[in-house]
Amino acid sequence: MSLTLSYIANSLLILCLVTSIIQSRFLFKTQNYNLLSISQISAIQFLSILVSFFILIFLFITSDFNFDLVYFHSHSEKPLIYKLSGVWGNHEGSMLLWILILVLFNFLFSLSKSSSKKFKEITVAVQSLMIFGFVLFLLLLSNPFNTNNENFNDGLGLNPILQDPLLAIHPPILYIGYVGFSLIFSLSITGLLTNEVDKKWATIAKPWVFAAWSFLTAGIALGSYWAYYELGWGGYWFWDPVENASLMPWLSATALIHCVVVLQRKNTMQSWTMVLAILTFSLSLVGTFLVRSGVLNSVHTFASDPGRGLYILIFLFIILSTSFFLFALKSEKINKPSLHNISSRNTGIMVNNWLLISILIVVFLGTMYPLATDLLYNQSLTVGPQYYAISITPIIVLFLFFMILSPQLSWRESKLLKILYEMRYILISCLTITFLTSLYYDLFNFTEILIIFLSLILIISSLSSGLNFKSTKVILKSNFGQSIAHAGFGIFMLAVVSNAVYSQEKIYDAKVGSKLQLEEYIFDFKNIEQEEKDNFNSIRAYLSLSKNGKNLGEFSPEIRFYSDPPTITSETSIIHQFFSDVYVVMNVPQNQESISLRLHIKPFMNILWLGVIMIILGGIITAILNRKKYEENAIN
Amino acid sequence: MTDTVKKRLIKFLVSLIIFGIAILIIVYNLRDNIVYFYSPSEIIENNQTGSQIVRLGGLVESESVVSDGDSIFHFKITDGQEQISVKYQGILPNLFAEEKGVVVEGIYMNDRRFIANKVLAKHDENYMPPEVIKSLKETGKWQE
Repeated sequence: MSLTLSYIANSLLILCLVTSIIQSRFLFKTQNYNLLSISQISAIQFLSILVSFFILIFLFITSDFNFDLVYFHSHSEKPLIYKLSGVWGNHEGSMLLWILILVLFNFLFSLSKSSSKKFKEITVAVQSLMIFGFVLFLLLLSNPFNTNNENFNDGLGLNPILQDPLLAIHPPILYIGYVGFSLIFSLSITGLLTNEVDKKWATIAKPWVFAAWSFLTAGIALGSYWAYYELGWGGYWFWDPVENASLMPWLSATALIHCVVVLQRKNTMQSWTMVLAILTFSLSLVGTFLVRSGVLNSVHTFASDPGRGLYILIFLFIILSTSFFLFALKSEKINKPSLHNISSRNTGIMVNNWLLISILIVVFLGTMYPLATDLLYNQSLTVGPQYYAISITPIIVLFLFFMILSPQLSWRESKLLKILYEMRYILISCLTITFLTSLYYDLFNFTEILIIFLSLILIISSLSSGLNFKSTKVILKSNFGQSIAHAGFGIFMLAVVSNAVYSQEKIYDAKVGSKLQLEEYIFDFKNIEQEEKDNFNSIRAYLSLSKNGKNLGEFSPEIRFYSDPPTITSETSIIHQFFSDVYVVMNVPQNQESISLRLHIKPFMNILWLGVIMIILGGIITAILNRKKYEENAIN
Repeated sequence: MTDTVKKRLIKFLVSLIIFGIAILIIVYNLRDNIVYFYSPSEIIENNQTGSQIVRLGGLVESESVVSDGDSIFHFKITDGQEQISVKYQGILPNLFAEEKGVVVEGIYMNDRRFIANKVLAKHDENYMPPEVIKSLKETGKWQE
């Protein structure tokens, strides 16, 4: 049974390999033999991977320990959903998922009707070459269907810290984002090959690039939210190398989506769009594979097989060198002379592109510097979060400024004084609000006040530009997606700064029955209980929270002792209020009498997540409304 | 030299200069915010006392963990050759245990004393920080 399944799955992978070679024929010769259409062959590619993915799911659910992957990463007593998430909770399985999404995108694009036949053929061919590379990697270096002849009774389990519903969906969402940029990359290569990087190209690429960007944003946000409530360190972003690896493609992708908009509107910035498309996909590859192959050490690292890292590095090198070589050949041809005024919206978007790339460079240097010193001088070191805060803050201030200004500029030519005059009510009201709140909350740091002020203007001006208030009706304008995402970013920045300023933390050695205090909050420590659960033992503390005599809820932080593999985890207990989260983490009890509790007040966390959700929504709306908007613009 | 080439050259040079300045600022800033990692032997050899925050990694020596209430802990970190006494106030991570690898961040006070403001949490009990493995290998105390 096991051998048969392994045989079938491997055959399917080889089938996909073969069909990918067939699909890439359009790159080499133009004559057609129409045995099967492109979309039919793409469907075979997709189905072969889909079925082998289902086989892997089946193996995990039935706990077939004759497969190495299941043996190492699953356990028969694990709840069903975590058996399922175990499929991609390891290197080989996550690779298969990656490829599944890759062929899915390829299949969907082959069905789309937005592009010409020739354009579609070449794009699918480029995409298929990549599919070939990855499937070959899977078959040779990380085959998920390797079997063993031992009869293991049970598996080695999955790290309990990874047993979390959010972590079950975090990798697929993130991967959809990463892989989405592979399609943008293929589109760019096609555009360069056919010399067709123009308005038409931007219209084809736009929904895909916005969709990929939205998923990437959502994937990063889910990881961040997981770290916030699961790790219990009181933060949502740690500048950990793995987090940085996902932030870098996001930064260049954010620059890219704006370029695509400019290209669609003004038929300019062709070269820069191509560079960003290639860069984003390369960084996505780095994000997935260097993380997974163990070059960066972290929780996320599954495997440390140097062969895999080498394959990916060589693959990355081939992709980068061929695409930049092609770009160098073609950049003269695709570039149209741009005739825009310095005071047009292009300039604003270009400046913010530079600023995004500057942040990218800051993050890149901070992530790579420790690797370099370790390699060159054998000196281990880490880069403190202070580095990022100090380097990025001034860039963010400028960034916010141009984010407010650019949408106010027209695509042709604008008068700055006129804009200032039109915005006078917003400016004055925001200035007043900022002044009063700073006074009320004793805020004296100039940078913080400035960011709050700029964020407020951004929120109000973005919302008012996307909504049209006509007597009783509110009409959504065509740039509604942009306006909601920009307002979301303003809300996000507002929350980030306020959270950094007003977070509070205190550690207590507490006895049952004692009352603890942090700011105006009173924590009443009521009880401790021990319990035996399915696959772990738990110690739970019970506390109730009150403020000014009013009861706000109960905390039940928990420590879990898992036996398989032996691991201890803490479960944070959070009470969400509108303006601040209050949360409690407990320590492993060191003695009988007292227990260490860490109390946090994290203001504006809800607002922060709201901002992130708005950013994602804005992206999705733009992806969906693209066509309609383009038609409207064409009329205007 | 045609006009467009001239224009392009100027554009290129200006961006290069801005770019260069930006990189310089970033790298300067980077050097100020580096936290070095040492093993107990290295930290004694370097003897960098005072205000600079560093990381120290090694094994928690057996039977060295003492708590004196108020979440204050004393323990010793060893690399098999030297040992450093660490004082820490706060919550110890779940996987903190004697004879296991640990990384602390704080200030070295000379006389083999270290005041930690952070004990770094790792998620897997078999996980050993790579720096600790490296320093154990260097002193020959590493067992596969």
